[in-house]
Amino acid sequence: MSDQSGTPRVRADLRPALGAAAALLATMAIAAALLALGGHSPAVAFGALARGAFGSWHNFISVTLVQATPLLLTGLAVALAFKARVWNIGAEGQLHAGALAGVAVAVSVPASSAFLLLPATLLAAAAAGALWASVPAAMKTRMGVGEVITTLLMNFVALFLAQFLVHGPLRESRGVFNQTDAIPAAAQLPTLIPGFRLHLGFLIGILIAVALWLYLARTPGGFRIRAVGASPRAAEVSGRFRTTPVIWRAFLVSGAIAGLAGWIQVSGITHRMYEGLSPGWGYTAIAVALLARLHPLAAVLTAIVFGALSAGGGAMQREAGVPDVWVRGIEALVILAVLTVDRVLQTIDRRAARGSPRAAHSRA
Amino acid sequence: MTAAVSLRGVTKRFGALRALDAVDFELAPGEIHGLLGENGAGKTTLARVVAGLLAPDAGRVQIGGREVRLGSAAEARALGVAMVHQHFSLVPRFTGFENVALFNAEAWTPRGGVRDDYRGRIEARAAELRLPVQLDVPVERMGVADRQRIEILKALMGETRVLLLDEPTAVLAPQEVEGLFAVLRRVAAAGTGIVLVAHKLDEVLAAAGRVTVLRRGRWVLTREAGGVTARELADAMVGVGGVAAGLPGGGSVLAGQEAPAPAIVAELKDVSAASVSGAGLRGVSLAVRRGEILGIAGVGGNGQRTLASVLAGLQAPDAGEAVLPAEAGWIPQERDGEGLVNDFTIAENVALAVHAKGAYRRGPWLDWAEVEEAAAALVGEMDVRSGAPGVAAGTLSGGNQQKMVAGREFLRSGKLLVAESPTRGLDVKATVAVRERITALAKHGDRAPGIVLISTDLDEILELSDRIAVMVRGRLIPVPPEDHNPAAIGELMLGAGSRGGVRHQADARDRPGARETAG
Amino acid sequence: MIRYLRCLPIVPLMFSAGCGGDSTAVDGPAVALLTSGPVSDAGWHAGAYEGLQMIGDSLGVHISHQQTRTPADFDEAFISYAESGYGLIFGHGFEYQDAASRAGEAYPDVTFVVSSGSRPSANVVPIIFGLHEASYLAGMAAGAITASGIVGMVGGVEIPSAKGTFIAFEAGVKAMREDATVLETFIGSWDDVSAAKEAAAAQLRQGADALIHNVDAASFGFFQAVREAREGGRMAWAFGMNRDQNDVAPDVIAGSAVINIPQIFVQTARAWQDGTLEGPLYTGLATGAVDFVPNPAQPGAVPPMVLVRIEEARRLIIEEKIDVPSIDFVEPAAGDPVAAGDPPTC
Repeated sequence: MSDQSGTPRVRADLRPALGAAAALLATMAIAAALLALGGHSPAVAFGALARGAFGSWHNFISVTLVQATPLLLTGLAVALAFKARVWNIGAEGQLHAGALAGVAVAVSVPASSAFLLLPATLLAAAAAGALWASVPAAMKTRMGVGEVITTLLMNFVALFLAQFLVHGPLRESRGVFNQTDAIPAAAQLPTLIPGFRLHLGFLIGILIAVALWLYLARTPGGFRIRAVGASPRAAEVSGRFRTTPVIWRAFLVSGAIAGLAGWIQVSGITHRMYEGLSPGWGYTAIAVALLARLHPLAAVLTAIVFGALSAGGGAMQREAGVPDVWVRGIEALVILAVLTVDRVLQTIDRRAARGSPRAAHSRA
Repeated sequence: MTAAVSLRGVTKRFGALRALDAVDFELAPGEIHGLLGENGAGKTTLARVVAGLLAPDAGRVQIGGREVRLGSAAEARALGVAMVHQHFSLVPRFTGFENVALFNAEAWTPRGGVRDDYRGRIEARAAELRLPVQLDVPVERMGVADRQRIEILKALMGETRVLLLDEPTAVLAPQEVEGLFAVLRRVAAAGTGIVLVAHKLDEVLAAAGRVTVLRRGRWVLTREAGGVTARELADAMVGVGGVAAGLPGGGSVLAGQEAPAPAIVAELKDVSAASVSGAGLRGVSLAVRRGEILGIAGVGGNGQRTLASVLAGLQAPDAGEAVLPAEAGWIPQERDGEGLVNDFTIAENVALAVHAKGAYRRGPWLDWAEVEEAAAALVGEMDVRSGAPGVAAGTLSGGNQQKMVAGREFLRSGKLLVAESPTRGLDVKATVAVRERITALAKHGDRAPGIVLISTDLDEILELSDRIAVMVRGRLIPVPPEDHNPAAIGELMLGAGSRGGVRHQADARDRPGARETAG
Repeated sequence: MIRYLRCLPIVPLMFSAGCGGDSTAVDGPAVALLTSGPVSDAGWHAGAYEGLQMIGDSLGVHISHQQTRTPADFDEAFISYAESGYGLIFGHGFEYQDAASRAGEAYPDVTFVVSSGSRPSANVVPIIFGLHEASYLAGMAAGAITASGIVGMVGGVEIPSAKGTFIAFEAGVKAMREDATVLETFIGSWDDVSAAKEAAAAQLRQGADALIHNVDAASFGFFQAVREAREGGRMAWAFGMNRDQNDVAPDVIAGSAVINIPQIFVQTARAWQDGTLEGPLYTGLATGAVDFVPNPAQPGAVPPMVLVRIEEARRLIIEEKIDVPSIDFVEPAAGDPVAAGDPPTC
C-alpha cells in the first residue's frame, strides 16, 4: 500500500480540474447541440458570446463591467446577509426602494452641486433600502416570522410601489410616459474613464466589497456576524452576545447596499426610473453571492462573470442571430456548469480539509 | 455456528488518518460484545462499517456468513443489522409511535400510510422485550432514557440479528443503566448479537460476555469479560503504564471537608426560571464560594440547562434573586454548535470568548495576533493534539475539542466557572486531564473561581465535588456528606426524594414557598 | 479566496473555446432592430420583426435584431450596432427614446428610429403611429353594434400610445351612440394572458358586449373571454388591435384596427436609403399604413349601413375634417437630447 502513496495524491490534485473540465465540456456540448438544432452555428454563437464580453476594451469596460455593477452591489448585499444566516431574498425589492428614494430626492431637491446632491441621493437610497429590509427584520426578531417569505413578499410590494409612483406622484412632469423626469446632471454619477460608460458606481461597489471584507475579517462586529451565521446558539452560549442586534445589523446593512444598487443604476445609467428597472438582479445576486462563497472580494469576480454572460448574451443575439430565449437558455446552462464546477471543487476541498487540518484555515 | 458479524482485515482511512487498521472482529449470535477504546480509537467507525454506513477501504465484511457489498446501509439493514447512534436520530415533533413507524419500511402501506396492525405489533414487541415506552408522547417531551428506549425499539422492530449501540450509557443514571442492560440481556437471549460501544469499563464488564479493545485504529485484545480486570483493560486502551488511578470509579477522591474559602462568588436565592425545552428552575437556592466545587448531579433534562444559563448570565430569573459575577465561564454540554463552531479555527473559537475585550482590540480592529497568541498558549497548556490556532475546530477529535473549550472558558475565567458534563465523550486521558485542570483551578487560593460542576456522570460528581446537590424536576436537593455514595444519590436522581423517601428535605419542600438551600 | 481563484481560468477558457475570427463589422448597408419583448407576440414586436425581414428582402441590406432586457441594454445595443457599422437602427418603443438621443449625439452618421418616440433631432426620427385614427373607426363600429350600450377596452401597460388609441376609440363609440358607457382597464402587462382574460370577463359581466383590446401578446386571453361569454349564451363582439387579428379569432372578432408596421418600416428604410428620411414621421389613415378592417369571416357583424358611415369618416379624417382625439407626446425638436445633459467625467 505505502509504496503507491504517490499515486492517490496526484490523482487527488488532478481530480478538481478533471471534474471541472468534464462539467464544462458537457455543458458546451449540450449548448452547441441545442444551437445546431436551432440552425445556428455554435462556433459563431460562442465567438459572439466571448467577443461581446471580452472582445475589446469597450466591450469589457462599457458593457461587461457596467452589467456587473448592479450584480456586484446586490451580490454583496446578499453575501453579507447570508453570512449572518439572514436569508435575504429581498435584494430586488430593496433595490427598487433605493432607486425610488434616490430619484425622489434627485428630482425634488433644488441643488445644483453634485457634491451635495450625489451624497444626499446615495444616503437616501441606502436609507430606503435599509428601511425596506427593516420590515422583515422586525418580523423575524420580534415575531419569529421566517425572512425568506417576508423579504420575498416585500419585493412585490416594492415593485407595485414603483409602478404606482411612476404612474402617479413621480411621473414625469409632462405627464405622458410612465417614467420619472430625467434626474439633473448633478445627481448623475460621473463616468470613470473618458469615452467609456463605466461609472463611479462600479468603484463604489469595489470599495464596499473591500470594506465588507475588512469588516468581516478584522472587526469585532464583523466577527459577530460570522459567529451568528456559523451557529447562533454558539454565538449566544460561547460568544455571550445577543444575536438580535447582529441580525438587525445584517438586515439593515444588506438592505442599504441593495438600495444603493438601485439608485446607482439609475444615477449612472438610465437617469430615470421606470417600471422594470431590474431584470431580476436581486435574484441573480443570490447566485453571485453563493458562487463567491459569500466572500466579498470573490463576489467582485463572480459579478463580473455574470456581467460578462449578460454582455455576451446581447452580442450573441446581434452577431449570431440567436433569439433571446435561446440566449437565456444558454446563460442558464453556463451558470449551471459554473455552479457544478464550484460544487465539485468545494467537495474536494472539504475532503482535503478532513485529511489535513491545515487546509481548512480560512478566515472570512 | 456462523458468526453474526465477521470482519477480516478491515481498514478505513480518513485522509491521512487510519481510523481502522486491518482490524479483525467477530460477533457471535446472542452475545453481548463490549467494544472499548479511547476516543478516536475507532470504535464508532467499526460500528458504522458493520452498519454499512461507511465503506471500508480494504478488508471483508460478513454478516450472518454472507459477504456484504462494501458500505451498503440498505443491504446491512436487510441482513438484520440495526444501529442506535450516540446522537439519536428521532424526529422531535413526532410521537414515539410515529418515530418507530417512520423508520421501519414494513410499517408502510403502498400509499404511504401506516398499516393498521402496526400499532399492535409495536406494543407486542415492547411487551415481549419488557421495554416501557411512551408511544403517544412527542419525542421532544421525553426524557433521555425514554428517547433511548424508543430508539432501541425502533431498531428491534424488524428481524434484527445484530444490534449496534454507540455509547448508550453516557446519558443515563445508574439505575437506568441497569434497566437498559436488562433489556439488552433479553434481546441477546433471543439470539441477537449485540455490540456495546462504551468507555466505562465497569459497566461493560457488568454487561458484556466478551470485550474487544481497540487502540488507534488497531485491534488490541479480545477476552471473556470474566477473565479480565478493569485495570488490564485500561492499560490495553491507553497503551503502556497505568492511568487506572484516575479512572472513573477508581476510588472517589472526596475533597477535604475543611472550611471552604469564605467569599461567596455566586448566589441564587429562590430562583425560578422558565425553559423553552425541558424543565425550568423552581425555587432554586445555592451559593458557591471561591475555590470550591459544587457538584450538581441528576438525570439529564431536569433543569440543569436552565441552571447553567442562569448562572452564566444568559437568562434572567423569572422570580427570585441572582447575585452573579460580571462574567462566568461556561463549558456547555453540547460542544458542536454551543461550545464551539466547527467551521471556525481554534483562534476564532477563542475569539468567541475574547472578541469584546479591550485587550484583544486595536482601535476598531480585532487584534488577531493577540487572539492567536492566546490560542497557541491554550493549545499548549491544554494539550490540544494536532491543534494550532489556524486549525479548524471541526477537524479535532471530540476530546481535543472539549479540551479547547475548557481551556477557553478557563481563559474567560472570572470568578465563576460552570462546567456542564465537561468530560462527556472524552477518552480516559483527556478525562483525567480535564478533571485535573478543574481541581487544580479550584486550588488557586484567592484567585480561584467557584466551580459549579453539572454532570450526569455520578462518578465524576463524586470524584470532584466538595459539596453535592441533585436536580430533580427543576428543584435542587442538597445531599449531606454522609450520603455521598452512588446508591443514595441515584435514588434522589430518580425522584425518590420527591415523594418523601429521602429524609430531611421532604418536609421542607412540601411546605408552600419553602426554600431549599443547597449548602 | 485562493482556492476560489483556482477555477477562474476556466471562464475565459470557456468563452474562447468557440472563438472564430474577431471582426464584428458588417459590410455594406445594414439595418438593426431592438425590441423590448419577444418577436413571437403576434402583435407589436412581431410586426417590427416582420418589417425588418422585409427590409432585408426588398432592400438587400444586412439585418440584425436584439431583444433588450433592461434600460442599461438600450445604450449598449445602440452603441454596439453603431460601432459595427449599422446605418439605420430601429428602437421599437417609446422606452428607447432617451438612449437613442444619447446614441444620436455620439454617432451623427447613424440614423436612429424610435417607434412612438417623442424627441426628434437631426438623426433621431420618431415614428408616430396614427393607430388612433383606425381605432376611432373601430369605435364607430362598436358603438353601432352594441346592444347594451356598454363598450369595453382592455389595455396592457398604460403608455401614451395605448392610451391614445383608447381615447380615440371612445370618441368613435360616442360618435355613433352618445349615451354609451365605456369601460377601461389596464392590466399592467403586455403578456399576462390570464390577467387579460380576467379583465375582459369582468367587463363582460358588467354588461359590455363590444370590446377592444390593446394588450399585445396577452390578446389570446382577451379573445378567449369573449368566446366563453358566447358559450355562456351572451352575444358579444371583440375587436382586434395592432395587427389584422381577424384570423386569430375569426369566430368572435368583428374587425381589427390595423397598423401595418412592416410597410411603415420598409418605407422608412427606403427613405433612409434615398436620404430623404426626416422626423417625426406621422403615419395615419392617409398613408394607408393604418386602417380598420372588418372581419371577412363575419360579414354581417358590422352592418352595411355602418360600414358606409365608417367609410365617410375615413375620408373626413384624411381630409382633416374630423380631428380624432389622442395624446400628443412629441416634444419640440430643439435642445439637448437628454434634458439634463450628460454627466461630467472624472
